[in-house]
Amino acid sequence: MRMFLYDARLYFWLISMQIRAQWQYKFNLFLDIVTYFGVTALEIISLLLFFIPFPTLLGWKVGEVALLGSIMSISFGLAELVGAGIDNFGDMVRRGEFDRMLLRPIGAFTQVIGSDFRLRRLGRITQGGAGIVVALWFLPNLHWTLTKVLVLSIGILSGTVIFVAILLLGATICFWTIETTELTNMLTYGAREMLSYPLTIYNLVLQRIFLFVFPVAFGTFVPACYILGRPLPFNMPGEVAFLAPVIALIFALIASQIWRLGMRRYQSTGS
Amino acid sequence: MAIIIEAQDVKKSFRVAKRRPGLLGGLRSIINPEVRTVHAVNDLNIEIQRGELVALVGPNGAGKSTTIKMLTGILVPSGGYVRVAGLKPVEQRRELAAHIGVVFGQRTQLWWDLPLKDSLHLLRHLYRVPEERYTANLKHLSEMLELDEFIETPVRQLSLGQRMRGDLAAALLHDPELLYLDEPTIGLDVVAKARIREFLLSVNAKRGTTILLTTHDMDDVELLCPRMLIIDHGRKLYDGSVTAIRERFGGERILIAVLETALQNQSALQEELPAGVSLLSSQGPRLELSFGQRSLPAHELVAWLGARYPLHDVTFQEPEIEDVIRRIYEEGLLLKEGAGVKKH
Repeated sequence: MRMFLYDARLYFWLISMQIRAQWQYKFNLFLDIVTYFGVTALEIISLLLFFIPFPTLLGWKVGEVALLGSIMSISFGLAELVGAGIDNFGDMVRRGEFDRMLLRPIGAFTQVIGSDFRLRRLGRITQGGAGIVVALWFLPNLHWTLTKVLVLSIGILSGTVIFVAILLLGATICFWTIETTELTNMLTYGAREMLSYPLTIYNLVLQRIFLFVFPVAFGTFVPACYILGRPLPFNMPGEVAFLAPVIALIFALIASQIWRLGMRRYQSTGS
Repeated sequence: MAIIIEAQDVKKSFRVAKRRPGLLGGLRSIINPEVRTVHAVNDLNIEIQRGELVALVGPNGAGKSTTIKMLTGILVPSGGYVRVAGLKPVEQRRELAAHIGVVFGQRTQLWWDLPLKDSLHLLRHLYRVPEERYTANLKHLSEMLELDEFIETPVRQLSLGQRMRGDLAAALLHDPELLYLDEPTIGLDVVAKARIREFLLSVNAKRGTTILLTTHDMDDVELLCPRMLIIDHGRKLYDGSVTAIRERFGGERILIAVLETALQNQSALQEELPAGVSLLSSQGPRLELSFGQRSLPAHELVAWLGARYPLHDVTFQEPEIEDVIRRIYEEGLLLKEGAGVKKH
């Protein structure tokens, strides 16, 4: 436990260095954030254009889909912000930086995740926040309660953890083979793209995958349904939205065990 | 003296999958890989005492990096026994990391975009160096390495020599007992090289830090390391001093003599020369004689020459150690001797 606390403190040291380094180029950073905001806003706008010819998507109205997409943007943006170091892992191994990390008296994972903190991802997070405002404008009759705000927050955080864990799984594959980016991209960008729409438009196999294998839906679709008062697939009660953190932690735990396995393999092959 | 590095019969073999060419081949390689085993390190025995300065020498691909990786706990050996600073490198990697410092000449551990000072400050936290010790060490290191002139500069703007000095400071902040250096002088100019060597000698002398370095620069070995290990094909070929290897394989030394007057009769001199000595060239008063290590002592040759001609000046040229090492790699001089690994 003390080891964990120390690593956590070091993590903040590491990312504060990253932030300082990126802050050196303030104008550049600002432009990056604005551009990223613009690009991701276009993604959401193109999503919403669907509702000009069609009033609903299997019963989902424009405001509801906007809310879903914005929740996705925030948790995915947070995952990109925090998990950028994991995303770079393949390069880190190839350049020998990972060996260097193994030569320091701190956990390798702490150093990998602490090796980057990409502030320009704030663009996507801001876009998600703006998206929620737009969604609320479309949904004037939505009744908010404290519980719904709670579900929204734990949903976003759980979604972030799940996405970071998926990035970690992708990085772990680097221990076995070097060309892995496509597989990870399919899972991260693919899941983000697909789950910006209501989960129920997909076939049952895909629904099961996003709920029970790569439980991304628990961070986005499930809390959105709870807030909007919509039924969940497989007759699940709406309250499973409160389970999101548990599911995220279990998934992260599984990912971390696989990471350990990969580390052991790395130490026996060195490649 | 206490042993700091102990490796007995250490082996490392890798299973390498051969890739078949083409798309279908690639697919077949995944389903039914053709695997061959590469023995990177074979039954290596190394014993290093605390406070020693040892060079690990060998051609590229000889197994030096693999050896260092096993000694630091990055790689699990396929067999054998390893202890470093009394610890099991793989099982106690994080603990061991606090006892060792590592510098790779080819890549820095400093943060590229930040001033050197910030990197050192962060490393203090990564290595949990207490504040007072950090301040004292940093003061000492920046005096010795003259860091003050560039400590506020972002690392990407430093010259290679400055960056190397920064990296050395970074590796020594936590007072490691053992310092691994991988090609510490690569790419540096003569002045920078001399400065780094001087620093390493003083760290070794004053702090008693054990230093193990890999290098291709034989000057590093001659000027720094009383002891040298030669590794090739994952085996230890030699363990001893540079002088000893020069004596064994150095072949001929060269005597350059300048006479008071130009040499008149070259063929007469050639006929008279003692056994094992030959005339390489003569130009006016300047003679170059080569003589074997064992044929006769240098002073006797000088006396012999002095008795026949008035001498103006005499100098000796030692055999180039680079040459000797090249012959060891290419002609397998030590391999031919079989089990001729000599302990110093």
